[in-house]
Amino acid sequence: MQTVFSIAVDALAYGMVLFVISIGLSVTMGLMRVVNLAHGAFAMIGGYIASYAARDLGLGYAAAVIAAVVATIIIAIPLERFLYRRIYGAPELTQVLMTIGITFCVIGIANYAMGPTLKTIPLAGALQGSADLGFRTIPVHRLFVILCGLAVALALWFAIERTSFGVKLRASVDDAAMAAALGVRTEIIYAVSFAVAVGLAAFGGVVGAELLPVEPYYALRYMVTFLVVVSVGGAGSIPGALIACLLLGAIDTTGRYLMPEFGEFFFYLAVIAIICVFPRGLAGRVK
Amino acid sequence: MALVMNSENERLQHQRRFSGDLIGITAIVAIGAIGYFVFPDNLALLTRMITIALLVLSLDLVTGYCGVATLGHAALFGSGAYAAGILSAHYGINDPLLMMLAGIAAGAIAGLLSGAIILRAHGLPQLVLSIALIHLFHEFANKASSWTGGSDGLSGIAPDPIFGLFEFDLYGQTAFFFGMTLLLVVFVLLRFLVRSPFGMLCRGIRQDPLRIRAMGGSPMAALIRMYVISGAVAGVGGALNAISTQVVGLDSLSFTQSAEALVMLVLGGTGSLFGALSGTVIFMLFEDYVSAANPFHWLTMVGALLIAVVLFAPKGLFGTAAAFVRRRKEARA
Amino acid sequence: MKKLVFAAVAAVAIGTSAYADPIKVGVIGPFSGPFALQGKNFKAGIDAYMAVNGNTVGSDTVEIVYRDVPQPDPAQSKALAQELIVKEKVQYLAGFYFTPDAMAVTPILKQGNVPMVIMNAATSAIVTKSPLVVRTSFTTWQTSTPIAKVAFDAGVKKVISVVSDYGPGVDAENAFKAGFEKAGGQVVEAIRMPLATNDFSPIMQRIKDSGAQGVFAFLPSGPTTLGFVKAYNENGLKAAGIKFFAPGDLTQESDLPALGDAALGIQTTFHYAVSHDSPENKAFVEAATKAIGNKAELSFPAVSAYDGMYVIYKMIEATGGKQDAEKAVDAVKGLAWASPRGPVSIDPESRHITQNIYLREVAKSDDGTYINKEIQTFEKQGDPGLAAAK
Repeated sequence: MQTVFSIAVDALAYGMVLFVISIGLSVTMGLMRVVNLAHGAFAMIGGYIASYAARDLGLGYAAAVIAAVVATIIIAIPLERFLYRRIYGAPELTQVLMTIGITFCVIGIANYAMGPTLKTIPLAGALQGSADLGFRTIPVHRLFVILCGLAVALALWFAIERTSFGVKLRASVDDAAMAAALGVRTEIIYAVSFAVAVGLAAFGGVVGAELLPVEPYYALRYMVTFLVVVSVGGAGSIPGALIACLLLGAIDTTGRYLMPEFGEFFFYLAVIAIICVFPRGLAGRVK
Repeated sequence: MALVMNSENERLQHQRRFSGDLIGITAIVAIGAIGYFVFPDNLALLTRMITIALLVLSLDLVTGYCGVATLGHAALFGSGAYAAGILSAHYGINDPLLMMLAGIAAGAIAGLLSGAIILRAHGLPQLVLSIALIHLFHEFANKASSWTGGSDGLSGIAPDPIFGLFEFDLYGQTAFFFGMTLLLVVFVLLRFLVRSPFGMLCRGIRQDPLRIRAMGGSPMAALIRMYVISGAVAGVGGALNAISTQVVGLDSLSFTQSAEALVMLVLGGTGSLFGALSGTVIFMLFEDYVSAANPFHWLTMVGALLIAVVLFAPKGLFGTAAAFVRRRKEARA
Repeated sequence: MKKLVFAAVAAVAIGTSAYADPIKVGVIGPFSGPFALQGKNFKAGIDAYMAVNGNTVGSDTVEIVYRDVPQPDPAQSKALAQELIVKEKVQYLAGFYFTPDAMAVTPILKQGNVPMVIMNAATSAIVTKSPLVVRTSFTTWQTSTPIAKVAFDAGVKKVISVVSDYGPGVDAENAFKAGFEKAGGQVVEAIRMPLATNDFSPIMQRIKDSGAQGVFAFLPSGPTTLGFVKAYNENGLKAAGIKFFAPGDLTQESDLPALGDAALGIQTTFHYAVSHDSPENKAFVEAATKAIGNKAELSFPAVSAYDGMYVIYKMIEATGGKQDAEKAVDAVKGLAWASPRGPVSIDPESRHITQNIYLREVAKSDDGTYINKEIQTFEKQGDPGLAAAK
């Protein structure tokens, strides 16, 4: 029984880490319809900036997180203006080509500028160490990530479903021409959503760095995981992504405990099964 | 009147297609010959290009002609490679032609399997299905290490000389000519295929599956058939890979290999056999050149190339060039 | 006309070659991609050797030609090796980080009349694939066997083995099991986990539940190692007194700054520590640090590359700069010298390097950096993996 609880806690923690890192991709892919394979690259940039801010500039953890999010958005603005704006509405494969190109460039530059070694982000004192849950211990940092995940999910859901910006965003996505005709400045809406997505990527990259350490190849290494999680949830759906992360986290964790030898099989078989049953993802909207 | 014009048109089109075939074959032979004489010391690279070109052609069949988005096409390629390799390494059947047959068969079976799964969804979920599938193939090959050699690679493949005459040697002449012949044969067959009623049906499915169904066609059956054919083509590439390098590694079944093939295809231009070929040749030459010039930081250059292609040649290099030529012709006429 | 041009070109080519035809050494390794750090160490070791010993042997100049294979890709590796032999006319092939890449090249060595000096690839069987292969690195069996004795002597009788599910991981598991059971211990469970594991908490739970007193682990260096060691600490295994044993791949010096305090006290066995105390190593570290630019990035592939260059220089000396692979390899059989890692020799039969294996413990040095501190020496270890395969 204790083991079951223990696995459940691990699964929850892992699922929430996945959620925090990949939710930004759900925004670009589901709401903006851009297959953004460079999502991992932005998360990595965030991680590098936080690491630099905390280790070399001596900022605190909170300040490093904020610096990473802000700086990554600043880096992303020219990319949006000159590159991404050209591929909104383009065929998926063209988007894949462009965003893979961007990812390659970012990897090359990171390798050149920061070196190939792992970079860590020192945690704030309060987040270090382990907390005692009675039947086991869990790193405090994991609890922090779970809270972050919940906060992000709530904030995003509120912004998209309950604010006027969310209304305009959904309108622009469903019919850009009509929305524009009604006076919505779709360009700005897209730019802001892109900035939000990139900011979330950077935030996830920093907060998740304990589990997915920052190094130049980060951008490609975890790309598949992000893509899978978002698509299984149904791109663009916040609750869908949350359910998918928790479900896949649970399957992955349980599989790795029971039969680590076949860990990969469990995960990908589950993905295939889910998509065969829900061809548009768990919470995909019918077009 | 209209009827006459139609048949006239058709005759013209036939002529044009036929000359298109001829031009295509001549172009392949010419490029092969140029490669042979310009890089006589680098036939291994050219042979590798041919194997990858076969993979990209095969990918074009399902992605370009049928509109299936897949990042798992190396599953077909790798199955062919492992089948050919296992035949030689475990059963001692070293005849290159038999190995090739095994590769084709394994590729086709892998195609059937992949098709049956990947075709169950569309768009992004489809892409993810293909990713899941390639990881399963990869894990399976890793697990079955007594057959595949696992991550150490399957070694001990020793193909006999072709027809007992031409040995696979260090200089790679035999492998190169063997590969060229295969590529030409496959290319001609595919030209026939994509223009056959079946090929047209597949294009129709890409554009409007609902209408095809309304006309009484079965999109699923047609796509699966195309997947099997595509598997056979990829199997040719895989078997050639096993025969020419005499080692099969897990990389031939990897996501990376699949993604690279897709990048090459989109780079050249989807939905055209020439696009697939030119994309492969250009990407690999570029990669070979920049990675030899600077083995440490060449990835940035490749990334820049991809971005530039999207910005300046959105239909792919060949697609954009072809559109440009067509516009010029129309402007003149 | 054509013939004339040809003759002229040939004449020029021959003319220049009579003066200074450098002896080319082709090096294949991962210089970009996820393993770029290891490739960078190859280059640092080679550069260091040439900076210390000059780039000439007798009257011949040595020139290095690098080719990149970012990830295990035997087809690419073989194509590049062919190009190096046929087009670049290299006399020696060296490098090879991954086993399949080396395996792919062994069949063409004889025909190309080229010896191959392996600077990393650690599967025992490679040296049996061609008589022209010499290895200056280590094998997983060689580095993983002594830790079994260390574990047993530390009073640990029940161990759980946890390895990444790929060739070297399986090698490590078998080597440890063989050594530990021979000593009289018991491997209670052997887990193989997928290479792409991000979250190690469930594995830690398994280790706890197994009731073992110690854990033997093998993972490729880089992000997975970091995740594993962190999980070991955070899930309370360290606090519960479960001891941690591994070969030195896990505490590669370039990973230590990231591992930080989490790694303190971990014991590993390996053939080289950057902190090794000897005049040879001081000179090596100085030269290699200069070559790599940042001392924190320096680790074991560099020393294998450095010694690989020593072997190649000896080969060039023995053949007088002429291309004769067999003579070159024969000349280094039994060769013994003082390497930065300690005394080493090339076993005449297997052509693999015989060397000391050290037990080390991660510690903080006086200047605040983390090091692998050597605390025990297992002298003159050969490769038990070859014997085990027979």
